[in-house]
Amino acid sequence: MAQTDHPDDPIATLEDVSVTYDDGTSFVLDGVSLHVERGEILGIVGESGSGKSMLASSLLDAVPDPGYLSGSITYRSDDETIDVLELGQSELRSLRWEEISMVFQGAMSSFNPTMRIRDHFIETIDAHDGNVQAGMDRARQLLADLYLDPDRVLESFPHELSGGMQQRALIALSLVLDPELLVMDEPTAALDLLMQQSILLLLRELQEKYELTMIFITHDLALVGALADRLAVMYAFDIVELAPKQQLLSNPSHPYTRALLNSTPNLQAPLAQMRPIEGQSPAPINVPSGCSYNPRCPLATEECRTTDPPMDAPAPEHSVACFYWEKAQYEIELNYATEQSGGDYS
Amino acid sequence: MTNYYLQRTARAILTIWVVITATFGMIRLLPGGPLAQLEAKLLRQGVPAGQVDAMLQTYQNVHPDKPIEVQYIDYVVALLQGDLGTSISRNKPVMSIIADALPWTIFVMVTATFLIFAIAIVWGALMAYREGGSFDLFSSAASIVLSSIPFYVIGIALIIVFGYQLELLPTGYRSTSGIDPESGLLVFFLDALDHAYLPILSMVLAGVGLQALAMRGNAIQVLGADYVRVARLRGLPDRRVAVRYVARNAILPMYTGFLTLIGFNLGGSVILEEVFNYNGIGYYMFLGLDNRDYPLMMGIFLIITTALVISVYVADLTYGLIDPRITTGESNETY
Amino acid sequence: MKPTETDGGEQPSIVATATDEDGSFSFEYDDDDIEITHRERARELFDELIYKPAIVAVKDRRTVIGGLIFLGYLLMGSVGVLFYPAPTSNQVDRSIAPFSTMDAPLGSTAIGEDVLSMIIHATPEMLQMIFAGGIFATGIATLIGTVAGYKGGRIDRAITSFSDAAMSIPGLPLIMVLAVVFRPSNPWVIGVLLTINYWAGLGRSIRSQVLTLREAPYVEASRTMGVSTWRILRKDIIPNLMPFILVNFANAARYVVFTSVGLYYLGILPTSVENWGLQLDVAYKNAGALVADGNLYLLVFPMVAIMGIALSLILLAQGLDRVFNPRVRTRLAGESESITDDADEQRSTELIH
Repeated sequence: MAQTDHPDDPIATLEDVSVTYDDGTSFVLDGVSLHVERGEILGIVGESGSGKSMLASSLLDAVPDPGYLSGSITYRSDDETIDVLELGQSELRSLRWEEISMVFQGAMSSFNPTMRIRDHFIETIDAHDGNVQAGMDRARQLLADLYLDPDRVLESFPHELSGGMQQRALIALSLVLDPELLVMDEPTAALDLLMQQSILLLLRELQEKYELTMIFITHDLALVGALADRLAVMYAFDIVELAPKQQLLSNPSHPYTRALLNSTPNLQAPLAQMRPIEGQSPAPINVPSGCSYNPRCPLATEECRTTDPPMDAPAPEHSVACFYWEKAQYEIELNYATEQSGGDYS
Repeated sequence: MTNYYLQRTARAILTIWVVITATFGMIRLLPGGPLAQLEAKLLRQGVPAGQVDAMLQTYQNVHPDKPIEVQYIDYVVALLQGDLGTSISRNKPVMSIIADALPWTIFVMVTATFLIFAIAIVWGALMAYREGGSFDLFSSAASIVLSSIPFYVIGIALIIVFGYQLELLPTGYRSTSGIDPESGLLVFFLDALDHAYLPILSMVLAGVGLQALAMRGNAIQVLGADYVRVARLRGLPDRRVAVRYVARNAILPMYTGFLTLIGFNLGGSVILEEVFNYNGIGYYMFLGLDNRDYPLMMGIFLIITTALVISVYVADLTYGLIDPRITTGESNETY
Repeated sequence: MKPTETDGGEQPSIVATATDEDGSFSFEYDDDDIEITHRERARELFDELIYKPAIVAVKDRRTVIGGLIFLGYLLMGSVGVLFYPAPTSNQVDRSIAPFSTMDAPLGSTAIGEDVLSMIIHATPEMLQMIFAGGIFATGIATLIGTVAGYKGGRIDRAITSFSDAAMSIPGLPLIMVLAVVFRPSNPWVIGVLLTINYWAGLGRSIRSQVLTLREAPYVEASRTMGVSTWRILRKDIIPNLMPFILVNFANAARYVVFTSVGLYYLGILPTSVENWGLQLDVAYKNAGALVADGNLYLLVFPMVAIMGIALSLILLAQGLDRVFNPRVRTRLAGESESITDDADEQRSTELIH
């Protein structure tokens, strides 16, 4: 629904964004280019250590020290275009949470353990010079939208809430200033499966009600598959494939994406058919030259070892960084029937 | 919850009872123990055997001819009534000696402990904020060096420098003889302060290092916590993050330590007050130890123990009030 | 995550194994893995407890300096006493200033004792007290803490109440009273006496660590396999506590130094042996005269001896704490650590679940 419903109206555009540590010797984000459509839910999938959390932090120019962020990130609100990396301290402060908000991995540790939930809302509204009364009304509405009892939750200390309640309260806190873009980094990793599902449903409702744009970052392909409009797959600190969800699931074109799908537990595929991916994903200091997936790729040739493959387009709006995506499509078999694909995801 | 308070109260009472019983046992039951020594000493001094029992009775509320359980009950009842016996060396009720001395010791030790924590919190937080810098490095080294000197060695050094060489401050005693509250409250207070500077300073110097390092560790941990990062991203002013987030969460775990250190330092007063000839309870306990004056020694020991038990008790009970995370009383994991 | 036992011997049981520090699990479907798991864990333990700490310890200046100073005291107390004559009155001229003659390099007292000799010959007893106190305190604390923490229930409550009571008794006055009543003279006995209730607080921290370790997957695995409690404590729990115990051994030792010197200084412990506290006491009794005569060295050298050994112990404790305790690692190290952690995870979970 995303691409067709929304004309070309990117809310955020990343160009060649890199994050380096150790004076530029190790990349934890390696020249990522990406645009986010207004109103879509973009799922970013990658293993832990693939740089996906770094991508989330980059969007808010909040890379942990001593990381160095380069490239260009532009954010477009209704009337103006903002170059995020050029902002001063106070402009950055108002961009964060007012325009772009973020839900971190681990809600349990995102609240001050010695402060009531209410005070977290009040101080956030205060810090952005908002009207506390109106802001708190909005907070109550958000909490109610998330099926929480506002009075009870606001009066509680974080430890008095269950993991799922903290997670929902954190989502409400991230939306209290009515941001346009919500970045979520593994927001459901610590929750059980039922809770994950219910939070996904809530996110979908919120997205429609408040016309949000969402970036949902996770290692869990099945989970994000149920929610996202478009999917991006990260490997070794860069995006290797990006497509609308249906397209990506029915026609995955990067060998890594195909291997990833084959290693994903699936009710229809017997356990014996699940294939772990051989080898290890690279650490930031020794990313292989050429295509970073080449040491593990069954199709790798000399060209893959020397040249970094550029983005190719197997279909409109589908891009993949592989020389042999056509070959991959028929040589690497998927262990679920393609016709059915997406059936259990959507 | 109520259950916890009850349990905790029972345990405090139990501890005091154990100590009372132990002192009774040590004084009375050990063969060749204090009582036998005292009896021998009185006999040696030529006191007629008939009077010895009567004297023992006044000194320790002891009736050697009665059955042991009656003696024990008498002892406990006397203690509960505030009768700690009579000091042999001073020939005064132990309770009156303590009543005279205790305020001075409490003044020195509470002030010292308070200063230790106040300084340690600020110093440790600064170290944490500038972690890895030269201030942090220098401060950490200084804290370690300070912690390697016992307070009484610092005390001796301070007396030599400020008392004998510079002659700026008195070398001992809790006040100048002749000056008492009647010579004017302000004069008396300033004189008392003059005599308290060095004892307090030596406790603070010796104690502040380790506490500052502990605060530094706590603050570093909190600074690295997710909720601090999220708070900054939410655009909170640095001041608020520093106070409500970092300071609050780093200081809270030190609260129990603060109260127990007061009680613990009361125990240290025995050495400190001997060094400074400071007539607090520690000084009198030393006299009791030195003269084998058991009533005095045991009486002060009981008082110091009670003080420590009460301060730990208060720490445990109140921690739940100041730290919202602790509601069921599982707070005492601070050691 | 309790491993489940299956009824039929055919089906392999599912064994949970710890894979890396962040405590994530992987499930292995093979009985043979139990052996591998234990061997891997032995290697992991070696890496964690000996190899990595040794590297960090050598890199940490505090551990190196502290270790060298302490080694100096060990040599002084073992070899030094053999070669350097014991102090007696009138062994050299009276009141020699320090650094003036090789007969008494640190000067002599008013009755002609060699100050250096007094300091050297006080060392063996001090070391004996340190070891006695350190071993007693950490030994009892480990025993009590592990049993209470691992067994739980009524035993835990009984032990915890007992050690809480012991902890509430002020150490120094208690030791003084006991010293006066029992008049110990053997340094090993004195060492134990000085730590008579030091173990209580330590036992409690060990207990809370054991409470966490008890739930560790490999301990659960051992328990499910029917390994005896004692063996689990010995093989699985105590090795993991060793670092913490070592750090606290150094802390207990410093406490023994401070307390024993204090008690010798007060004259509560027998005055028949050499001790730096006795030297302080004798010198400080004449403080006024010392200042007037410029004989402060009589105070300064014993002070330096006390500080030196305490400094070595505190440096060792702080350094070892850094070596063993990832909690105190720096913020910067924490960041880079999280990157490597991420990379490490790849080793164990290639599957995306």
